Amino acid sequence: MYNSLTRIQNVFGFFTTIAFVVAAIIAASDFTAPRTPSASIKPTNVQVVKGRPHYYSSKKEEYAIIKFSLDADLSSLFTWNTKQLFVYVTAEWPSTSSSSSNQTNKAVIWDAIITSPSSDHLANIGPATLKKLRKSAGGKSIDPSRGKLSLKNQRPKYQITHPSGKVANTDDVTLHVHYNVQPWVGMLTWNQDVDMALWKRMAAGISKAFELPAVKKKDEPKAKSKY
Amino acid sequence: MLSSLQNPRQAAAQLLNFALILSTAFMVRVVALPTINASTSVHNMPFSVCSADSWRNPQMWKGLSIAADSPSPIVVVLSGSMEPAFQRGDLLFLWNRNLLADTDVGEVVVYNVKGKDIPIVHRIVRKFGIGEHAQLLTKGDNNAADDTELYARGQDYLERKDIIGSVVGYVPFVGYVTIMLSEHPWLKTVMLGIMGLCLNLNLNLSPSPNFNFNLYLYGHKTP
Repeated sequence: MYNSLTRIQNVFGFFTTIAFVVAAIIAASDFTAPRTPSASIKPTNVQVVKGRPHYYSSKKEEYAIIKFSLDADLSSLFTWNTKQLFVYVTAEWPSTSSSSSNQTNKAVIWDAIITSPSSDHLANIGPATLKKLRKSAGGKSIDPSRGKLSLKNQRPKYQITHPSGKVANTDDVTLHVHYNVQPWVGMLTWNQDVDMALWKRMAAGISKAFELPAVKKKDEPKAKSKY
Repeated sequence: MLSSLQNPRQAAAQLLNFALILSTAFMVRVVALPTINASTSVHNMPFSVCSADSWRNPQMWKGLSIAADSPSPIVVVLSGSMEPAFQRGDLLFLWNRNLLADTDVGEVVVYNVKGKDIPIVHRIVRKFGIGEHAQLLTKGDNNAADDTELYARGQDYLERKDIIGSVVGYVPFVGYVTIMLSEHPWLKTVMLGIMGLCLNLNLNLSPSPNFNFNLYLYGHKTP
């Protein structure tokens, strides 16, 4: 009664079941690895310029360039199921209009993809950089040095603008460090505001409030983003 | 054959099963690859793997769709603007409810651009305001520039209603079958043939109470 087709069918069915169970176990193993990220960030140089923030900008508008220093230890986020870590710094400020008091603005000013040694080959980098990256892991599949960041006076990748075209003289701006862990299989996770079991919230990671200055006269050629 | 006739309920279920597979297999939409290479677009068709009771899957799909409040709770990644996080063929699970918090900066969302029928999965990088009408800007992690160029004419920002879900879960590679099927339509015919064959055999196998389809495809169109 049982012919080869039914057998193939059964074997494949069994295989998919096993594959999914194993994937589920791997995904669940994330919860057994403690996460103790920490970060400290502070703005080092803030200026506001009026001009075209991008080459495709249709109108001149005010944009802010926030340089910052960042020290972070996110090494505990790298486990065997980590594919990449996406680290991003946002500038956040409340709305200036008095009518809507609770409105907030958030913009990413800098981000970085930190691949796990297991996904280095997927990174969008040249062969020389890849070789260097591979060497940095030293053959280890989990490299704790990957999550350590130390940036001094880092230039932002993205200038901040606002739909209204005005960002100068904004009060109460803060910089926040965030991360997003991308697994090989399972749930995507972000930095959390509260401790949850073995996953601790990020220590520090928010800068002191600062002010965006008045528009600076353009005495230097337009700041070009390196990226 | 005779034994299944003795059990009309089972025979009817299997007939229904076959009809469902036929209809759904033909519903699998052939989605053209996006002309814009910079965007990671997704197949808005689900793909489910199950070992038994496959006829329940459309209902499961609808259930998932209702639970996640998304017209397309599972999508398949088509291109590489979110690499290395998402690659072609990866399966993403979406969640479209704001139970605890607003959709925020840093979330990876699938959105539809007005007048274009290709859902795109990118990360939110800017958000001005809160609530329904917050202005959102997205960008692919692997792209140099943000998505302003991808949006419709005169559209500078997305709103919450343009988003059909935030990515919460990830399974690699499994969705590659749907990409294969839409790029090589003849595979669909082959698969259908195999399925039909299996069904025939199954009808003849009296002792098998559960119908065993391992691969089952079901097309879905976003409104």
